[in-house]
Amino acid sequence: MRSPIIVHLARKEILSTLRDRRAIFSNLIIPLVMLPAIMTGLPLAVGGLFEREQETVTELGIVGLANLPEELRAIISAQNVTLVEVADPEMVVREGDYPAALAVPGDFVTHLASGRPATIRVYSKQGNLASELNASKIMAAVQVYRQQLVATTLTEAGLDLTVLEPILVDTVDASSSAELASGQLAWLIPFFIALWTLIGGQMAAIDATAGEKERGTLEALLVAPVRRSEIVVGKFLATLTFGLTAATMAIAGYVLGGVLIRSLFLPRLGEQAGEIVDVLGGSLSIDLGTVLLLLVSALLLTSLIAALLIGVTLFARSFKEAQSYVAPLSFLLIIPAIGLQFKDLLDLGSGVYAVPVFNALVLMDDIVKGAVTFGSVLVTWLSLAAATTALLLFAYGNFRREGVIFRT
Amino acid sequence: MIEVRNISKSFGKVRAVHNLSFKVDTGEVFGLLGPNGAGKTTALRILGTLLRADSGEATVAGHSVSREPERVRRIIGVVNGGMGLYDRLTGREVLHYFGRLYGMKRAAVNARIGELDNLLTLGDALTRRVGDFSTGMKQKIVIARAVLHDPPVIFFDEATSGLDVMARRAVLDVVREYPNRGRAVIYSTHVMSEADELCDRAAVLYRGHLIAEEGIDVLKDRTGADSLEQAFFRLVEESEPVTKGEAA
Repeated sequence: MRSPIIVHLARKEILSTLRDRRAIFSNLIIPLVMLPAIMTGLPLAVGGLFEREQETVTELGIVGLANLPEELRAIISAQNVTLVEVADPEMVVREGDYPAALAVPGDFVTHLASGRPATIRVYSKQGNLASELNASKIMAAVQVYRQQLVATTLTEAGLDLTVLEPILVDTVDASSSAELASGQLAWLIPFFIALWTLIGGQMAAIDATAGEKERGTLEALLVAPVRRSEIVVGKFLATLTFGLTAATMAIAGYVLGGVLIRSLFLPRLGEQAGEIVDVLGGSLSIDLGTVLLLLVSALLLTSLIAALLIGVTLFARSFKEAQSYVAPLSFLLIIPAIGLQFKDLLDLGSGVYAVPVFNALVLMDDIVKGAVTFGSVLVTWLSLAAATTALLLFAYGNFRREGVIFRT
Repeated sequence: MIEVRNISKSFGKVRAVHNLSFKVDTGEVFGLLGPNGAGKTTALRILGTLLRADSGEATVAGHSVSREPERVRRIIGVVNGGMGLYDRLTGREVLHYFGRLYGMKRAAVNARIGELDNLLTLGDALTRRVGDFSTGMKQKIVIARAVLHDPPVIFFDEATSGLDVMARRAVLDVVREYPNRGRAVIYSTHVMSEADELCDRAAVLYRGHLIAEEGIDVLKDRTGADSLEQAFFRLVEESEPVTKGEAA
């Protein structure tokens, strides 16, 4: 193979694809913007919503307001809740007039005074976040009042409060600092990187294969004195370039998202919103070595996907047909990514690092969490390189098959 | 210059070309005539090294199309009606892209583009993106691409298909001019008036069979026809008992 010819072929594919504005948008802008938007926007939006809901004074329905002890009423009011008398608490919640309501029976105080259990009924809509949040305010207030009553009773009986908790449990999180910082949704990071290699590479791959057929340019290329292997590698390199660019942009977006959260937003957030940010992985911090490991892994995964795209899309007669072939390939990434969430529950063993695609996702997850080993890196990279070579041979074979090239 | 000996090609149960033989000399425009599905494109694709014949052999300038495909590709140019261009490149970029694939230096490509501009009147097609071209202008760039490396052999396969009268005339002028430069041309068409105007000799294909191979005037004389089209129909009629039995 002649490398100048391969580079020439690849340059043409890159130039042609770069002149398509859709390629710029999907390869550079979207991956760069999407991760920071999700990493900062989602925690901020969710955290902000919860905070706003907590701080807003909400009206809740009540039946039997007169039966409510003054102390409990004061605690409920402290939760930013105003109680409004209604006739039918269940109906007003069902109709959406109030997010939640409660009913206090006439014998409530009498029962408390006699030491018998007294019941408050709370009405809410299960599955409705606003309703459940407001119901939880009532229950939190009742819990506080209950503890006050218990404390009073125990004191009167000459007992200490600690009698209620004879055993204390102290939990210690043994996660590494990287694992702690990565949050519960850290699997999204390798998933986005993998997904963007597919999205970023597919336009170039389709344009270079099915697009050539549809335009009628493939025949002109094949009657030029160029070897099929050179054509395959040239188109592969162009696809790889776009896939890798999109993946790099996704990583850059991820780093940018981390910087934005830490330096701009996190200090200004309230305690509860800050916890949500942590859960979503918003406190992630990665060093240069981690970025390099991610880049090499993404490069190898992109190579595999680029080779697969070239081999598969050549079967198609048109751009549209090729897109219909590529769409199912996303499941190659989505299904392993879903499995990645349950990685800790599955007994995967070290063999998982030999399974192409899934191994890359697991490895990138390990890298983000700082749990990577030399062996897992070596096996994953070798496996990806071998699979890429096999897929390139598959693509080369397709370029030599008359039935594929002249499929009309 | 071109020699085809007993080539056959089938696609599954469909026999596209059956035992085809003909020769084309330097300085000649050789017609490959027949209706759609006669096997003309298949024969040219075999000569262009895009398809492999099931049997038989063909050579271009002494090089076997099956054993030396890369050598053959260096000395042929192909123009067909369905050939397209890269919409997002300019005409000049398309020609530079292919020039490099043919091993030409940048300066040589530029010099050749100048010659082709004079021959084909490429004008602003060189600087505009192909996606903005008319069909005729695209076909001019397709021709320029095919002859960019000044090949000794050029195949035209339904090259005027879908062109308006002006663009069609430009293509025919190129075909007429080309053999004067000591080259060989195979001109494949189902438009008999074009073949009558351009070709010295022709092979008539019908259902994959060669039913005649002679000079244009000889074909007309032999069939007692006034035109090549009339001669073609008479030849097809004569061959019907043979070709129908073997057609897929």
